[in-house]
Amino acid sequence: MKVETKVGLLAVASLALIVLFAYFMGFISPFSSAQELNVMYNYAGGIEEGSPVRVMGIKVGKVKSITFDPNYKMENGEEVKLRLTITINKKAWTSVRKDSRFFINLAGVIGEKFLEISPGTAEASEFSGGDFVRGEDPPRIDQLISQSYGLAGKIIELVEKNEGSVTNMIQQLDRLTTNFNKTLVLLDKTTKNKEVSRLLDNAVKISDDVAYLTGNLRSKKAEETYDLVHKLLFRLEPLDGPALKKFFQDEGVKARIF
Amino acid sequence: MMPLIVETLAGVFTPPFRRKEFFQQLYFVGNKSLFIIVFCVSFAAVVTILESSFHMKLVIQNDSMVPGFAALLILRELGAVVTALLLTSRVGAGYASEVGSMKITEQVDALKMLGIDPINFLVVPRFLACVLGGMMLTIIANMTCILSAMAVSQSVLGYTPAMFMTSMHRFVQFQDIIFATIKGGCFGAVIPLVACYYGLRCESGAEGVGRATTNTVVVASIAIIVIDFILSYTFSYLY
Repeated sequence: MKVETKVGLLAVASLALIVLFAYFMGFISPFSSAQELNVMYNYAGGIEEGSPVRVMGIKVGKVKSITFDPNYKMENGEEVKLRLTITINKKAWTSVRKDSRFFINLAGVIGEKFLEISPGTAEASEFSGGDFVRGEDPPRIDQLISQSYGLAGKIIELVEKNEGSVTNMIQQLDRLTTNFNKTLVLLDKTTKNKEVSRLLDNAVKISDDVAYLTGNLRSKKAEETYDLVHKLLFRLEPLDGPALKKFFQDEGVKARIF
Repeated sequence: MMPLIVETLAGVFTPPFRRKEFFQQLYFVGNKSLFIIVFCVSFAAVVTILESSFHMKLVIQNDSMVPGFAALLILRELGAVVTALLLTSRVGAGYASEVGSMKITEQVDALKMLGIDPINFLVVPRFLACVLGGMMLTIIANMTCILSAMAVSQSVLGYTPAMFMTSMHRFVQFQDIIFATIKGGCFGAVIPLVACYYGLRCESGAEGVGRATTNTVVVASIAIIVIDFILSYTFSYLY
């Protein structure tokens, strides 16, 4: 074999290796069947070009580019200024629906950022390639920390301003808790006392009896009795003493009380 | 050194172009060095990934990111630098002794007498062969390193090639291999320049040739490490 051929083979091998490396790493994808989607955010939480895109936790694409788009407005008029162009492979494309939600999440021990797409419902229609969709802005940890600092500062200020009142309140709370504990102990003791137990048992029995009586009062017989008493009273109402005496005598009753 | 560099760079674009000599030198630099470089960088990659895993486990009790880190280290530094240092010891020493011997046996003077520019005849083909050979060998060395690291991560650390690739995806960018290739070319350029500089200044006798060879290996190695720092620092602004 000629020297030129051997050298040429080495050069071809080098070029082939670099191309294979690029292909396996996904830097070039000549046979790609991925679809693109533009996801709009106002805050992207540190996601980068090349970050993975996942649907239901499975990697299906990557963030292709990040573009600042200061004049973009969504259909509802909301201004959204950051455009993430993502690729989603064909297999997962049908799982991404118009009601899917686009989150920016963290994963792994070093906090790798990725774009998670929740699967949409079958009722919702599919996207067309290159559609624009609003993503869910991730929570801003820096703002949260800043607000927490503000809140903590206000609490400290409040405590410092009302130091006497706060101390007094804490003391009163302490006493209240002590008293409450004592009450609970007494109550516990009381429930374990034999006489009190009997008293409670009797109370239960009485209430049962009362319930039985009141239950009978609602029966048909009782209603008839009420009617009779009512009629009797109606008849007795216009009568005075002698008339009553006469009435009872007529009825054959010896009413000595009159 | 500066006149030699300028004359060599000018000679690259000045005919006559010595194609046959260039291919002979490229064969010597590329094909003949291939086995030793592949063999050595494979072991370097194995050590890198095992050490990375050990340190990661020591610090955060988790080495899931090691394939990515190791691949990045290999692509950004190890592949190019180890290849260049091996080329220095093999090719640089060879060039220095070859040119030095030509100098002390007055072959260089004979070339001048024949009206042949010794820089164009000796340095330029070696320079071009080393630049191109350094780039090709760096690519092959990097890929060999990654394959070795992948094999070790599967057999020792328990990461499958797919997991290795996933971890690599998180850290490695296409620029890494491009910058490594550029580094390989730069390191390749340093070796023949230093070797020919000391060879053409060689003093008479075996001692002179030995000194030229030693100086070549030492100076070229130092130059490679310094240039590596400069290039790494420069490339860090391009990410």
